[in-house]
Amino acid sequence: MINLFRAEWAKINGNRWVSGCMIWIFPIGAVAIMLLLGVIMAFSSATRASFATDNSGWNDMLVGTWSILNNPLGRLLLLGFTAVIFAGEYQWSTWKNVVPRSRRVSLILTKFFTLGVFVVFAFVIMSILLAVGWGILTWIAGGHYGPRVTMDVVRDVAGDYGLAAGLAFISTLIAAGFAALAGMLTRSILGGVLVSFAVTLGEAASAIGLSIIAFFLDWAPVLKLYRFTPTYNLLNVNEWIVNHQAVVMDMSYGDTKHVVLSNSMEFSLLALGVWIVGLIALTAYWFQRQDVTS
Amino acid sequence: MESQPAIHIEHLVKTFGGLRKRKRIQAVRDISFEVPAGTVYGFLGPNGAGKTTTIRMLLDLIHPTRGDAYIFGQHVHRNHGVLRRVGAIVEGAMFYNFLSARRNLEVLARTGDHYDAARIDSLLEQVGLTPRAGQRVKGYSTGMKQRLGLAAALLSDPDLLILDEPTNGLDPSGMHEIRSFIRDLADRQGKTVFLSSHLLGEIEQICDRVAIINRGQIVREGVVADLLAGKVQLHVEADPIAQAAALLNERWPVVSVNGGLDITAAREDMPHIVRRLVEGGVDVYQAVSQRQTLEDYFLAVTGDGPAHD
Repeated sequence: MINLFRAEWAKINGNRWVSGCMIWIFPIGAVAIMLLLGVIMAFSSATRASFATDNSGWNDMLVGTWSILNNPLGRLLLLGFTAVIFAGEYQWSTWKNVVPRSRRVSLILTKFFTLGVFVVFAFVIMSILLAVGWGILTWIAGGHYGPRVTMDVVRDVAGDYGLAAGLAFISTLIAAGFAALAGMLTRSILGGVLVSFAVTLGEAASAIGLSIIAFFLDWAPVLKLYRFTPTYNLLNVNEWIVNHQAVVMDMSYGDTKHVVLSNSMEFSLLALGVWIVGLIALTAYWFQRQDVTS
Repeated sequence: MESQPAIHIEHLVKTFGGLRKRKRIQAVRDISFEVPAGTVYGFLGPNGAGKTTTIRMLLDLIHPTRGDAYIFGQHVHRNHGVLRRVGAIVEGAMFYNFLSARRNLEVLARTGDHYDAARIDSLLEQVGLTPRAGQRVKGYSTGMKQRLGLAAALLSDPDLLILDEPTNGLDPSGMHEIRSFIRDLADRQGKTVFLSSHLLGEIEQICDRVAIINRGQIVREGVVADLLAGKVQLHVEADPIAQAAALLNERWPVVSVNGGLDITAAREDMPHIVRRLVEGGVDVYQAVSQRQTLEDYFLAVTGDGPAHD
């Protein structure tokens, strides 16, 4: 399994144009932003003053980075990358070399896992660069960059950081699930991107559709279906990690009628788990039946 | 030497197409044959005859509609692990263009869980790619990709090599080199090579046995020398040519070539053919015999017209 993982990693990382433009752009962008802020700070006393009074701590920088991946926009950014990883094998006709060498299910599972680890790895680097860079800028501006490092603080931050990174991994797998399935059905990178983009947007915006249906049927339970969507549950878990409370969604479907959604973190994690298992199982099932050479 | 045949195919059928009967295409129709271990076996057929479909089923890339394929006695679909003993190039070698040749081989070796850096170096050396092993495959010629494909097929030191058109894109000296390399794999290393090609000269030079597939069916199978033994090709120039063809057609395979007729027959039939033409009122201007090549034999048994590959 380690060999399969290393093979997938070499393929993903070796495709420098794709991984550079779609994933490494985040840590590179973080460095670029820091440098730009440094230049602005050198010429602007107002920017220096704002840095000196800024209350952001290294803990916020470390944990906050993950919110990029843990929202619908972040998932949309990942779709292109994932579509290349899965549908690319059809376009390059490389499945026929790879498939006889390993079982199809292990190939697909490893692809998902490697992809998730790759994205999380890039964001770990980005979070460290942001935390360090922001600290340097604050120090240059003469501000305080806390909190003070104690065992308790480190333990708290490590816990939140682990949860946020874990959620980002889940978020990546869900984006990958949609893109992989779309890429395998269409056997095209562009097809994979377009279909998964539409599905992800549609899923996030399904609240509007459910409200309309609830309004016409005058039946509130329809709206409650939204609590099972990846978008709501990712936001909810993120809220639990950052603010230790649920996202409360007040969904109205008439002038006065409304439904309030509020999931526990455990429920959301379970729902996300079901989505991931379902999407990966469907992808593996489809791949198992496919003629990968035609 | 392996006691089991390297390949055993039993009543293999592959039908493509949907539920509608009219749209279905039967690419492979109930074929059965065996490839003895340690031989170089040629798999011949015109384009669309079903060669690649058969190979794809052998490698479990597609599932047969009916029938079974065994490699070294193991059912391919039920014992996927047996494919670890197989190296293959299907429909030309395809690689990750953004990776170097060495990195491509590393990826394939790791995928098959048999990574060995020394073996990769040695294979690159054997196929003559060492000087350019670090360059991206994107800049490789077709011939270089074919060589890399051969190296990829040999990565796991397989007992059986399945090569679909392995000399495509190679220049004559490259073809000669690869032919010797393939023959050597069987003679010195005891490997079995299952070789599909439309280059009949190539097959005749290196194969011990051949199967000829046409329109999804095996039309001939046997040792190359036996198939060609005692047969000659007689080229006849006569007038009227249509009458000559009609006189011979019922007993011998006849093909019209350059205004004359090519007849495949046993050497002792030659006087009968000439006598039959003369007694039938046909003027014979020339009758030249030559040893039959595999190409002549192939054309005689396949006729013409492609089906589906």
